[in-house]
Amino acid sequence: MNGPAMRQLPASRVPVSRVPVQAGAITIAAVLLGAGCVVWAAVPLAVKGWGGFALFLAIFTVTAGALRLALIAVPVPEDSFLLSGPVRAGLRALELLRQAPWEEGAVLAVLWLEVRHPSRPWHTAVLGAALIAYLLATHLAESGAQPPVLRPHTRVLAAGAVLLALGAGAGMLPAAAPGAGSALLRLVAAGALIAAGALVLPYVVRGENQG
Amino acid sequence: MSSPAPNEPPARPGPGPAAPGTVLELRWRSSRHARRLLTLGLAGLFIATLARRPEFAGLAAPALLLLAAGRIQRRPPRLVVRARPSSRRGFEDEVMALDVTAEGQDGCDIRWTLHPGREIAPVGPPVADGPAARLTFTPERWGRRDLGTLDVTLRDRWRLSEGHASLSLPRIDCYPAPASQQTRVVLRRLPNRLGEHPVRVPGEGLEFSGVRDYVPGDRQRSINWPASTRRGRLQVNTFAAERSQDVVLLADATSDVGEPGRSALDLALRGTGAAARAYLDARDRVGVITYQWGGATWLAPGLGRRQVYRIIDSMLSADTGGWTSGASFRRLPRAALPPGALVVVFSPLLDRRFVETLRDMRERGFAMLVVDVLNAEPPARPGGLMRSTDRAARRIWRMEQEAIRFSLRELGIPVVHWDGAESLDLPLAAHTRRPMAARR
Repeated sequence: MNGPAMRQLPASRVPVSRVPVQAGAITIAAVLLGAGCVVWAAVPLAVKGWGGFALFLAIFTVTAGALRLALIAVPVPEDSFLLSGPVRAGLRALELLRQAPWEEGAVLAVLWLEVRHPSRPWHTAVLGAALIAYLLATHLAESGAQPPVLRPHTRVLAAGAVLLALGAGAGMLPAAAPGAGSALLRLVAAGALIAAGALVLPYVVRGENQG
Repeated sequence: MSSPAPNEPPARPGPGPAAPGTVLELRWRSSRHARRLLTLGLAGLFIATLARRPEFAGLAAPALLLLAAGRIQRRPPRLVVRARPSSRRGFEDEVMALDVTAEGQDGCDIRWTLHPGREIAPVGPPVADGPAARLTFTPERWGRRDLGTLDVTLRDRWRLSEGHASLSLPRIDCYPAPASQQTRVVLRRLPNRLGEHPVRVPGEGLEFSGVRDYVPGDRQRSINWPASTRRGRLQVNTFAAERSQDVVLLADATSDVGEPGRSALDLALRGTGAAARAYLDARDRVGVITYQWGGATWLAPGLGRRQVYRIIDSMLSADTGGWTSGASFRRLPRAALPPGALVVVFSPLLDRRFVETLRDMRERGFAMLVVDVLNAEPPARPGGLMRSTDRAARRIWRMEQEAIRFSLRELGIPVVHWDGAESLDLPLAAHTRRPMAARR
């Protein structure tokens, strides 16, 4: 019923492959990036009014997201009829932890923290880059994929970084004239940049696919 | 019958004819990653518009660009999947493999997730990546088992959308892990059929029986020259004849008591498998009768290694051999229960009708041996507190069991106890040393 045992290659003939990045390292990176985003958006600390709540929300959602990533490999039994009450409650909590969109909440809370500060374009641009890195690291950690799967993203991310810098630059431009009109003008300029990027995008992606 | 190798993963199948694939329709939807990017992009644009701060529009730009790039990607609407277990038959705790391959994924990443069926345990992670993968599992308990379902998840190059499909996996037959048995119980009177058991009748076997005077017609090579020299006339060696016997294994499937994995039914099937293998190795004809509520399934005695699989198949399902209704075996045909056969019974002896059937068979002259596979007692009251009535009930139950076994011994049916952990040779030792007489 059994076939012959699987043939083992001698040690010298075992193909040498690049050591894959450990899933734990990616998870830690995601957690650190999330915590860094919260800190970056929160300083200088302004906990008055809704600021305190926004900070609490950001810390809570980033922590819950980290817990979700840490417990992602915990198996869940299919039948829970014979389990004790505490175990069933724990499984229910684990299910909630896995299904709730913690990272979306963390993004919203961090942006809320950032928008409470007066305009600081380059600070916001760095936060944008960190948030993208946080989301990509979270995706890698939860899917168990290795960083090379993000290779197709390189050109698009580079184009996004250019737009990020242009957006920050647009934010630093002095207003042409006081009033709502000049702010709207700057906004339209930023939107036009994004639209231009979207128009260029098909050519960038086509080149990536061919490569 | 090849012995199971519990810890040895099966080899990869060689290049044979490709199994027909299953076409799976994929259900595409946005990934969690895409939903997060969309949240970031929309929130950035919303804040930029509301707060009139263009840097937030720039913050939204990378996420929106990634989403736009993902929309350009083509997604295959369907996928051809081939899933083939390394074998359709296996033993308990034998490591088996499921080889899966996919075609038509259009450059998407594939993830396979095995959701095992009942009593199927994955060995190692139940998740594998790549267009060709191998998932290992082990059946934990005998029976016809559904392997479960296989979930296929395709991710596009941008990781923004996921295609999902499920595939129902085939069934496998899981045989009970046979116990160990090397020795055999042999009857004193065997049918006149060539076999491997030496008997007292002289014949053409290998075992030396004695010497006698030479008579014309004896072969010259059988002359015993030392004896001829001593006695002064030609002496020839005589040898014992070698015969085979009919063995009918009787498995009692009416009671399944005890902890799962070591219950009476588990031990009965494992013992039956071990005995079938031991007797078939000695060229005996072995058949099986599985006694159930309301009747019995049977398989006529036969020879050869394939008979082991037939016997276990007949115990796992009733689609081989025959069926007889009623608790008595009087209606069984002679082919199923040949006269003069050795009947080896594996039973916890809890069903009174079955015990009566054994007495009836004994009175009809069958040589029988009962292997008692009862290793459990009535469960204690929840909470562990035993009242005096509980203790009295348990004592009465034990005395009843002892009385049943005593009555069988009085009828000339030896009863030996087997705990399932030790080899079957130990409880049978008293009956394998010398041929067993069938008293009438």
